[in-house]
Amino acid sequence: MLRDIFKSVGNIEIYGLISMIIFVVFFTLLILHTVSLKKKDVADFSRMPLDDFSDESKEL
Amino acid sequence: MENQTFYYDNKIVKNFAYATLFWGVIGMVVGLLLALQFIWPALTFGIPYTTFGRIRPIHTNAVIFAFVGNGMFTGIYYSLQRLCKARMFNDLLSKINFWGWQLIIVCAALTFAFGITTGKEYAELEWPIDILVAVIWIVFGWNMIGTIIKRRTGHIYVAIWFYIATFVTIAVLHVTNSLAIPVGLFKSYPIYAGVQDALVQWWYGHNAVAFFLTTPFLGLMYYFLPKAANRPIFSYKLSIVHFWALIFLYIWAGPHHLLYSALPNWAQSLGVVFSVMLIAPSWGGMVNGLLTLRGAWDRVREDPVLKFMVVAVTAYGMSTFEGPMMSTKTVNAISHFTDWTVGHAHIGALGWNGFLTFAVLYYLIPRIFQTHLFSRKIANLHFWIATLGIIFYAVPLYWGAITQASMWKEFTAAGFLKYPNFLETVTQLKPMYATRAIGGGLYIVGIVLGIYNLILTIKAGKFLPEEAASAPALAKIAGKRGSGEGVHRWLERRPVQFTIVALVAILIGGLIEIVPLYLVKTNIPTIASVKPYTPLELQGRDIYVREGCYTCHSQQVRPFRSETERYGEYAKAGEYVYDHPFQWGSKRNGPDLSREGVVSGRQYKPNSWHFNHMLNPQRLNEQSIMPSYKWLITDDLDLSTTAKKIRVMQFLGVPYPDGFDKIANDDLLLQAKGIADDLKSQGIQVEPTKEIIAMIAYLQRLGKDVHAAGMPTATITGK
Ligand code: HEC
Repeated sequence: MLRDIFKSVGNIEIYGLISMIIFVVFFTLLILHTVSLKKKDVADFSRMPLDDFSDESKEL
Repeated sequence: MENQTFYYDNKIVKNFAYATLFWGVIGMVVGLLLALQFIWPALTFGIPYTTFGRIRPIHTNAVIFAFVGNGMFTGIYYSLQRLCKARMFNDLLSKINFWGWQLIIVCAALTFAFGITTGKEYAELEWPIDILVAVIWIVFGWNMIGTIIKRRTGHIYVAIWFYIATFVTIAVLHVTNSLAIPVGLFKSYPIYAGVQDALVQWWYGHNAVAFFLTTPFLGLMYYFLPKAANRPIFSYKLSIVHFWALIFLYIWAGPHHLLYSALPNWAQSLGVVFSVMLIAPSWGGMVNGLLTLRGAWDRVREDPVLKFMVVAVTAYGMSTFEGPMMSTKTVNAISHFTDWTVGHAHIGALGWNGFLTFAVLYYLIPRIFQTHLFSRKIANLHFWIATLGIIFYAVPLYWGAITQASMWKEFTAAGFLKYPNFLETVTQLKPMYATRAIGGGLYIVGIVLGIYNLILTIKAGKFLPEEAASAPALAKIAGKRGSGEGVHRWLERRPVQFTIVALVAILIGGLIEIVPLYLVKTNIPTIASVKPYTPLELQGRDIYVREGCYTCHSQQVRPFRSETERYGEYAKAGEYVYDHPFQWGSKRNGPDLSREGVVSGRQYKPNSWHFNHMLNPQRLNEQSIMPSYKWLITDDLDLSTTAKKIRVMQFLGVPYPDGFDKIANDDLLLQAKGIADDLKSQGIQVEPTKEIIAMIAYLQRLGKDVHAAGMPTATITGK
């Protein structure tokens, strides 16, 4: 479907094709990266808002 | 490593918070006035500065850039410092950001009231203010990235990624869409025309929603929701994928605002495909937010901050489901040009942005004032009244939209339009408009309660301008990637490189959509009979832009039988090539005007009709909701600008003959005299140099050129 769309742009369909390739490659790598993150790192990152070292953890 | 003590700047947060509340009330009260003008058109008080077309940009810009904008800065300035364990990079930059932004807002309100506008929705600011916006925006980005660089944490938390994407993308969008050639200090023509202008504008318009109303607020959600719930975000991994997928996909979706228009089909299809794909990351974000609260739902019942957040995130989920749905051609055929779009926008603005903004304010104001929220009861009351307000606002508009679209499309058994008089379809909606106004009013009552509650909170507390905190200094980050460190891990701690990659991600989509429209001639086939406007028509067109007629009228007929029957020939790309700016509009509270001048057409009216109609629409149609434009009859046309306007148009490639600028006013006066004489023959005395003459000349030109080409009405898509 996307190829048909790009075909009608006028003789530069290669342009669209390249971007689709970038898109797919980028997201494949991103997902691989995300899946392979260390458990401890992820836990640390996600706790970042909670340990900001100021006195606000007090309940209001 | 040894602990360093430093201070968070709470004063800048407080300033932005106050500005948010102030502009929120102003923006919404103007919105209420607009809603009431649909019921009582006389509420414009007969003066230019309060007419619908001029104050609608005040409302939209005030809510988007003043209320939500200041709200976004409030949240970013608060959370960024804490997530970076660092004070803002530079206090002076913070101050310039704050005061510069307020100055822009004041300039915007004044210029719009005076009719100084580019006529491009949500980008109405004229060029000097546009430059100011660019400068202040750079100051904001500089201050933010500076803060990130001097942070005391290794990893850059995901909320900040969203802030960075906001900064770069808005910078690119704003500059690209605002490129224009000035005619004077308060008037310019965009460098793009017609279809190209439309595409750039909606690429901007859609992504203003994406990167001004969505990404910064997702960043706020990723900080304040875990904070308020006192538990980490449900899935950090999901947030990484959410971020990249969202910014990559969003940028392509703009053309869904131009379905069935003269935009080439491939661009429309791309818009549809990417819009539908957008559901995935959007819902990923919503799910991530809501699941963070799993096991804490008892606290949601108690805590107003969480309550506001839950509705905000739910509203986000609703609008991001509705949006892709409205981007499919089937639904768009019904929803486009109706108040469905307005309802959709308000679920986003009132629900997502408004509720999240108040959640943030209810969270941080007690904290920077070292106290408790004055009253949970009042906050709960605010919550319920505002929720009710949203329902009363949106439901009647959806209902009205479906009613109106069906009336537009209904044929009798004999094959004629069942409601050939457009006004009938408006009159039908008046009860819905009244209910909508009540909904908006309720929402404002809620906000007033909220402000009252916050004022009492502030009174009870003691402001802490400099909040002490301490953290170990960050060991110097090695520029190179460490061994075993993935590219993304490396990026996650390099703000400048991260910014560049985000920029590339958004540029890909933008370029692929926009560039072919310039490179490939066949995308905009020319029509030989389409000629530049005469000087008088050009002046008239500029008055059309000034008065914001596009806020009620479209100029683009879709290829449906119901539309070609009602208006005439459907829109062609080639007919708009001299339109700087394009004026297709986005909703139809009045009929389409692009075929108004076709003498043999359905809509054609004599000059005298237009004169009387502009003077007093209700005298011709008692039920009309169009405001009177009587000052056009008394105000003189500014002839001093004609030559300059022609020269700028020539510069932009409009083929006026050489030296035409010198004789442009002679041409103008000759044509004006013809119209004045014609009016005289109908018993109307008016000098040829009055603005109304130019306006009539413009209206009588609309659609003539395409009609002259004698194109058959063919390839109609459906009803
Ligand atoms: C608040 C919305 C609104 C605004 C703003 C507005 N109009 Fe209208 N207009 C209407 C409505 C509703 C009608 C149909 C009823 C009528 O004829 O008055 C209409 C009808 C018209 C018609 C007649 C169309 C036809 O074929 O029947 C013309 C021409 C027109 N408007 C021109 C303008 C111009 C020019 C401006 C800006 C100076 C403008 N309108 C601003 C709502 C609006």
